[in-house]
Amino acid sequence: MDIAVKLQGITKRFDAFTANDRIDLSVRRGEIHAIIGENGAGKTTLMNVLFGLLQPDEGTISVNGKPLVVTSPAVAIAEGLGMVHQHFKLVPSLTVADNIFLGMEIRKRGLIDRKAQIEQARTLSRKFGLNVDPAERVAGLSVGIEQRIEILKVLARNARIIILDEPTAVLTPQESRDLFATLRSFVEDGMTVIFISHHLEEVMAVSDTITVLRDGRVVATRGKSELSKRELVRMMVGRDVSFDRRPRSPGSGRAVLSVSDLWARDDRRLPALKAVNLSVSAGEIVGIAGVAGNGQTELAEVLSGLRPASHGSALLHGKELLEHSPAEIRARGLAHVPGDRLARGVDGNATLSANMLMGRQRKQPYSRRGLIDWRAVDRETKALMQRFDIRARGPRDLASSLSGGNIQKVVLAREFTAGGDFLLIDQPTRGVDIGAQEAIHSEIMRQRADDKAILLISTQLDELAALADRILVMFEGRIMGEIDGAAMDEESIGLMMAGIDPVAAAEV
Amino acid sequence: MEILATFFNVGLVVATIRTTTPILLVALGGSFTTKAGIFNIGLEGQMLIAAFFAVIGSIWTGSSFGGMLIGVAAALAFALVYAVLVVSFRANEVVVGLALNILAGGMTISLMKAIFGTRGSVVGRGIVGLPKVQLPGARDILGPSYAQLISGYTPLVYVAFLSVPLLVLFYARTRLGLYLRVVGEKPEAAETLGISIARVRYIASLLCGLFAGLAGAHMSLGYITMFTENMSSGRGFMAVAILIFSAGDPLKVLLGCLLFGFADAFSLRLQILNFPSYLILAVPYAVALLALFALSWRTRPKLIRETLETMRNALAGKPQDSGGKLPSDNRP
Ligand SMILES: Nc1ncnc2c1ncn2[C@@H]1O[C@H](COP(=O)(O)OP(=O)(O)OP(=O)(O)O)[C@@H](O)[C@H]1O
Ligand SMILES: [Mg+2]
Repeated sequence: MDIAVKLQGITKRFDAFTANDRIDLSVRRGEIHAIIGENGAGKTTLMNVLFGLLQPDEGTISVNGKPLVVTSPAVAIAEGLGMVHQHFKLVPSLTVADNIFLGMEIRKRGLIDRKAQIEQARTLSRKFGLNVDPAERVAGLSVGIEQRIEILKVLARNARIIILDEPTAVLTPQESRDLFATLRSFVEDGMTVIFISHHLEEVMAVSDTITVLRDGRVVATRGKSELSKRELVRMMVGRDVSFDRRPRSPGSGRAVLSVSDLWARDDRRLPALKAVNLSVSAGEIVGIAGVAGNGQTELAEVLSGLRPASHGSALLHGKELLEHSPAEIRARGLAHVPGDRLARGVDGNATLSANMLMGRQRKQPYSRRGLIDWRAVDRETKALMQRFDIRARGPRDLASSLSGGNIQKVVLAREFTAGGDFLLIDQPTRGVDIGAQEAIHSEIMRQRADDKAILLISTQLDELAALADRILVMFEGRIMGEIDGAAMDEESIGLMMAGIDPVAAAEV
Repeated sequence: MEILATFFNVGLVVATIRTTTPILLVALGGSFTTKAGIFNIGLEGQMLIAAFFAVIGSIWTGSSFGGMLIGVAAALAFALVYAVLVVSFRANEVVVGLALNILAGGMTISLMKAIFGTRGSVVGRGIVGLPKVQLPGARDILGPSYAQLISGYTPLVYVAFLSVPLLVLFYARTRLGLYLRVVGEKPEAAETLGISIARVRYIASLLCGLFAGLAGAHMSLGYITMFTENMSSGRGFMAVAILIFSAGDPLKVLLGCLLFGFADAFSLRLQILNFPSYLILAVPYAVALLALFALSWRTRPKLIRETLETMRNALAGKPQDSGGKLPSDNRP
């Protein structure tokens, strides 16, 4: 058997905490090997060790049968490894092509040949069907497009062993299918793919072998055919988890948010929202579906006061919220879970306590007589950590030291307890493990039962199907149509997400 | 009109170019560290130490070029120490920069005492100044009175001004220039692509030392051939201010430095009118700072609005979470 990557006895500690505990892993050449596990199980840490970003405390690595000390990513890249990270590492002020070729610039007479780079990036993006404009600046591109650039970066380096850390967390089902078709063609070419995911369906659909991690240890490595989804869930979480549609009672029906004829532009000054009309009532979850980059981000930004609208109105409790600052809108009842947790959700360099404090620094019991009472903040933070099952050592941990899913839970914990009655939730379970997904869904339903008005933006159709009362589909800044959440039909949603009106399509 | 003519003439332009040169050199040096994400306030000290060693070097070697090399070597030594402490040992940039500035000030004074037995300044004693470069043909093309606009400067003047377009090209089109920017803007990106952050930052610090060294050599061997205590007189700090406002972009750096140089040259002229000299000495710094401040004027409305809002809330004695009642819901 031809082994591409072999890890033996890998142990990685952060201070006293053991993130990887004597992990053995072998990945065969030409297979798709999935690594799954709860948030904080140590998946990213293990991949960072393999890629040379972290040095293991114990254990050995061999690549293509050759023992290797991976002192830096450069060593890994030279051995044909490539990694697409969970949190993107793109330089915003550079163009797409510059980012793709960073570290391996095409040069002519000592100078970087931008033309050739753009040309090659275009060829590459055509070849793999990853549609990007290579001459564009990365700043202001949607996460979906950033993901494509990250994958192109790895492809441009001729990697033969590709590691993808939660590549589909930001993609729509269609985009994920395309990606997996691409990955399949890679392995048919003799490449090897290692990928981390929280979506068990896609893991079951696409991988050949599955390794389950739990608390830093390997629980099992099995061929896909030997496993069922249920078994996987048990191995990961230790219990059964259900994702059926949640039972619900009707809400009070009082309109909380009503948006009419709303227009806005994106960062490139192009129209991103076109005549958007929608309303959300108390005790109702309205879902926004759509392929990432069709105006969802801009809608969330306008409603939270982070982006000016060019026209239209948005009433919160009957009062205009456009042209007010985020602080004012929040004071009136908005709670916002942003789509990009690291950019807008948390300050990675601050402690969990400081992150929880944001926005409530003037409230009892967090501050008294104008002074912050850190003991009280720590106490409240501990309580929230318990309630939302945030895995960290304590309230004084830096937010950036948490795993991706736990960072997301920090944001949710802060926003859901801020007392707002309009919740604007953007991608709440992106990168969150299934156990925690279920917990977050329950929390959202609890908020609904509390008569909160909830606008839920998600690219995950199953999430919308489980939670939303109504689903609006966005395409190129417009609402294409509305679907009853209880009677969701994937096909018509799929058509609308592609910009086709299902009624018109049926008539043809 | 007469008065104006004595102020604004070819001579003023020439003087501006001369006074701009040292600050332009040191600021261009600082542009490397700024782009690489290092806030380097050690420019002043590097410039000062270079000025001193350039004088010593020119006496020892009997040549201005030798003096310049030794001055640059001294600045590089300082830059290396800076890089070791800041990049390898992750010491605080500001603290290390300040410490090295103080060290440079004290070291030049005590060495001056030890070597020359004087305080204050070193003049004469065989110091060789940099030669003036006469461009052939300048007189024929521009005529005798305008030829001095482009000809007759010391070599470092040309180096300084030619460096500006070269640096633009450097950042836009060379690999090292690109890496400097990436390391400053998104170090994680550099790291994962196998670009060594530490190495790039070392290179940036040393390039900075090179230019600061040239700036120092120009100060003590350029138009005046002498060393005086603290002769950089805050130019390194001025350069830091310009760097903050320009984010290290060579063209903006040039603009900021020209402004300072012009104010400097102009204030020299003001001395004709018998203004108190300490006021005149402050002019270039004040002008440059005011102008830099004016450049950031456009962020004013938001700043003032937010300040007023905070003050209003504080005065009303009400916390901001008062249940969402806003003073006015009318849209402007
Ligand atoms: N630099 C660090 N310093 C301290 N602790 C860390 C650091 N990086 C990770 N950890 C801890 O190690 C554990 C494993 O983290 P890791 O990022 O590998 O989890 P993960 O399996 O990728 O989770 P997720 O699915 O949420 O991305 C977590 O508990 C995390 O808090
Ligand atoms: Mg992870």
